[in-house]
Amino acid sequence: MNHAFPFFWTAIIFLSIAWYGFLLFYVGYKGGGEIIRMTRDLRKPPPDSKT
Amino acid sequence: MNLTLIDWGIITAYLAGCMAAGVWMKRFVRGVEDFAIAGREMDLNLGIASLAATELGVVTIMYTAQLGYEKGFAGATVGVIMALAMFLVGQTGFVIQPLRAARVMTIPELFERRFGKGVRWLAGLFVVLGGLLNMGIFLLLGGKFLVYATGLPPEYLKWVMTGLLGLVLLYTALGGMLSVLVTDYLQFIVMGLGIVITSIIVIGDIGWTNLIQKLWQCWDGSATGVGQTLKSQPFNPLHSSNYGWGYILWQLIFQTAVVTTWQTTISRVLACKDEHTAKRMYRRTSFYFVGRFALPGLWGAAALVYFSFNGGLPEGLDSLTAMPAYLCKILPVGLIGMVIAGMLAAEMSTDSGYLLTWATVIYNDLIMPVVKRPLAAKTKLLITRSLVVGIGVFLVFYGLWYELPGNAWDYLAVTGNIYLASVFTLLVAGLYWKRATAAGAYAALVLGAIGPLTFLVVNQVVSKENQIRPEVAGASSFALAFLGMLVGSLLSHPPSPATAKPEAAV
Repeated sequence: MNHAFPFFWTAIIFLSIAWYGFLLFYVGYKGGGEIIRMTRDLRKPPPDSKT
Repeated sequence: MNLTLIDWGIITAYLAGCMAAGVWMKRFVRGVEDFAIAGREMDLNLGIASLAATELGVVTIMYTAQLGYEKGFAGATVGVIMALAMFLVGQTGFVIQPLRAARVMTIPELFERRFGKGVRWLAGLFVVLGGLLNMGIFLLLGGKFLVYATGLPPEYLKWVMTGLLGLVLLYTALGGMLSVLVTDYLQFIVMGLGIVITSIIVIGDIGWTNLIQKLWQCWDGSATGVGQTLKSQPFNPLHSSNYGWGYILWQLIFQTAVVTTWQTTISRVLACKDEHTAKRMYRRTSFYFVGRFALPGLWGAAALVYFSFNGGLPEGLDSLTAMPAYLCKILPVGLIGMVIAGMLAAEMSTDSGYLLTWATVIYNDLIMPVVKRPLAAKTKLLITRSLVVGIGVFLVFYGLWYELPGNAWDYLAVTGNIYLASVFTLLVAGLYWKRATAAGAYAALVLGAIGPLTFLVVNQVVSKENQIRPEVAGASSFALAFLGMLVGSLLSHPPSPATAKPEAAV
């Protein structure tokens, strides 16, 4: 068995678990704030043109 | 049935919270632009959550696990290619930057500025056709997962599917993209938790080194009494028994087309605050797409090893249903409720995003161009909401009777290709080639759809050994679409200077 490929997939899978775990907290925290800001902005009347 | 009262409590609490948040967002919908693209108010992290949640459904988990079961870890190569394509597009702004700057609601809307109303309408038709056929198996696969993972009797499948869709329809039809964004956010968290927990339990159950060694033994058939249960070399995607070079090369083009053209992904680009946010959202979400293939692929590979070394795959199971049946055996009571809630979250976020996207394209590119008099804002919203419900009804019936011709991933790739090849060609030519004409656009649209449609029809009627390979159908549709655009444009009159400029589209 060539060990380069199993090593590559080992790194990919463990990095994926770590990345999913990190995003769970980071996006969870930041995204919540963005929802509050978005709903606050949506309460305002719509401007004539948006970019 | 493997669920306890605690599991049901977790699932019910998740569903109730999700529904409440989705229905609550209805109050912020001021018009179709809010309904379809959240008034372009979406910021970076909400974009990451929504993009990740929409593009990772139970259907994704099922087909990527099936790839893991049939091709080992190398099955996740598609995810690595997709992540690479997404990062490069996010880095360069290729297609997505001018698309967001154009302030359109859908991709076909952009084509009207460059190629005329007819091309917009035809492109819209292809986008909807490819999208709906693609989405047609979502409920079926989602329902199968839930039935096999929870131990529910299989005859409950259609009721599980219908009930789940009913919940999704309710909040999507009421709050549109605003509800979808907020529920996507909740679903991103619950789904992420479910995926991380399941992956850790799978590795803990089978042992990492043990998994690698036994996966190899499944391929080389060296284990006594097991034989060769894996036909593909499990680690090397370039090996002739695995994907091979031809498939990988097709995927490089296909995934670039997906991240620049797939309407549900592009809806998030169009809902972003600006182009800069869209590019950052792509870069930061890119690695998520590796895990989207690698982690369910891990579960599928573990299922293969488990069943191979424990008497073989039980009757009634196949490469698609082996993974949920395996999870059903290893997930501890109390945790399975969390994992099922995560999978429900994955299913609901994908269904809602897709329902909304295809309804928006039908409204914006098929109905509005042929409506003679202006409609009231309330009428427009009513039409879009009715379309969401209509697509939901179609999905229930299509999902019940359609039988997959090959594995799920190939079906999804080929049905997506019905419009991906042609619309990708139109986008690239429209934005970056001054000589592109409407005649070239028509030729690309028609020729690009021939390959995948032939695949779907022929593979339903011919025997297995005579079936068209997915990479052949896929690659030929890209080649034909590019050829159609090139020849059609060069054989027709050059466009007027005003429309010839790629900036005209923007």
